[in-house]
Amino acid sequence: MSMHGVPDGIVNPPRPLTAADEETASGKAGGFGMAPGTLVLALVFLGAFAVYYFTNWKLLSVVWQVG
Amino acid sequence: MKGGFRICPTTSLRVHRQADALIKANAVVATVSLLIGGITGLLVLLTRWQAVHLLDAAMFYRVLTIHGMSMLIFFIIFFEMAVLYFAGPVLLNSRVPAPRLGWSMFGLMVLGAVMVEWTMWTGRADVLFTSYVPLRAHPLFYLGVILFAVGTLITVAVFFGSLVVAKREKTYEGSVPLVTYGAIAAAIIAVITLLHGAAIYIPTFFWSIGIGNVDPQVYRMVWWGLGHSSQQINVAAMVAVWYLLGALTVGSVVINEKISRTAFVLYILFISMASAHHLLVDPGMGPTWKVVNTSYFMYMAVLASMIHGFTVPAGIEVGQRVRGLTKGMFEWLRRAPWGDPGFSALVFSVIIFGFVGGITGVTFGTEQINIIAHNTLRIPGHFHATVVAGTALAFMGVTYYVIPLIFRKKVAFWPLAKIQPYVFAFGMLIFSVAMTFAGTFGIPRRHWDMSFSDALFDVQFSPAANLVVTVMALGGLIAALGGAIYILVTVWSVFLGQPMEGDATYVDARSS
Repeated sequence: MSMHGVPDGIVNPPRPLTAADEETASGKAGGFGMAPGTLVLALVFLGAFAVYYFTNWKLLSVVWQVG
Repeated sequence: MKGGFRICPTTSLRVHRQADALIKANAVVATVSLLIGGITGLLVLLTRWQAVHLLDAAMFYRVLTIHGMSMLIFFIIFFEMAVLYFAGPVLLNSRVPAPRLGWSMFGLMVLGAVMVEWTMWTGRADVLFTSYVPLRAHPLFYLGVILFAVGTLITVAVFFGSLVVAKREKTYEGSVPLVTYGAIAAAIIAVITLLHGAAIYIPTFFWSIGIGNVDPQVYRMVWWGLGHSSQQINVAAMVAVWYLLGALTVGSVVINEKISRTAFVLYILFISMASAHHLLVDPGMGPTWKVVNTSYFMYMAVLASMIHGFTVPAGIEVGQRVRGLTKGMFEWLRRAPWGDPGFSALVFSVIIFGFVGGITGVTFGTEQINIIAHNTLRIPGHFHATVVAGTALAFMGVTYYVIPLIFRKKVAFWPLAKIQPYVFAFGMLIFSVAMTFAGTFGIPRRHWDMSFSDALFDVQFSPAANLVVTVMALGGLIAALGGAIYILVTVWSVFLGQPMEGDATYVDARSS
């Protein structure tokens, strides 16, 4: 339950992880395997970076032509 | 000097009275600096917005200087000192080893900041943030910076002392927490930064009083060891705050301690060389020096940011999933506490820092591409995404936890506080993206008049440039509203806020 003027993380702090949770989080599947959503976001980032980077090289070739 | 500890009812940490007080003092001065920097930023914006063009040329360069120094140096570094007192004595359950020295250095930093502000406001230092020689400011400007730097350096030494004391007095077990580790990285970068500052500002001070000479080329190279590296203290401190906010808001886990800690080491090793990207169009440096520093060493620091940019959200996702939010790809994100300003500020800080600041930064740091970006609005578009939407927003987010945990006050105007990160992030996103686009049209940075009305040569920009600058101005106004809400909420909470329930009595360590 949220209290006026105090963030949720203080009023209703996240449940402490149990030993089993810790094992799940860093266990056989591995930490990275547990974060498929973040992997998707990272791939979106990579795509955005590639588009912006190569657009800039294209822009450079337009404003500064060789030959 | 009064000592003693209190037990935080939320975190169960032992909080030293002097750590509490020094965090409060540094945070208050940081907020005052933010207010000064915010007002001058608004004046800069309303001048660069050609439809308003508020200030004359002299006042424009004056407020631009004040904006840069107040935001990039005073706001950020005072806040970082608060972070160091939190990440050292508080997180390690330890005491401040030399509180009198800590207070003296805080006073020295304030004195230095006041001297610099005075010279700038009175028109004695219209030299911009970079203060490139041969532009000459009043000697008290340089002396003020030196005193501020000395105060900071010794405060960092007090932080290192607190690590030694905590280790010796066995106030924690095992390795230091990751947040403290990040703060150590920030502190080491601070030492490197401040030594560069001393190396260049001391001779420049003597030059300003007529003793000796300073080579402009050497000045530019050494100064950026201060100017850029100081922003890397921010990055390391911001990342430490990301990990802290993740743990506080959703109980995120550190998915791999070694990887995260290695990434902090990469910052320490390579971030100073990244300063070279400011000199990519400088005729005094050869292409080999530029390429080695910006296309090899700088990428190692970028790699560190990319690692943190992955491990922080991944830690949040793993933390949410082990607590049962496992449906689909994004239930962990959808059902996150979006009404908690600490969490929303964290997420927006990560996204805008990475997607806007990171992508543009790596691109502009390429020597060949830099030639079309340097000295245009693309560069401030990039660093407003990193320093303002990234660092400042993360610091704003953690403030909503500092107020109840350290100041022991409830956050005032709570509904406003909840929307503040949204308003600020939305405004800064529009502002920084539009600013970057405006630079693509060739609009120069640090320039009073984009119409070049009195220039010898006629300069015409695409008509679309005016539209983009207007969008930039509207984004800036929204961000300024978000900044104003933050200052209203924090100042009211700290000075007029309702106290938190729970015991906050300090007990002497010997009797506890």
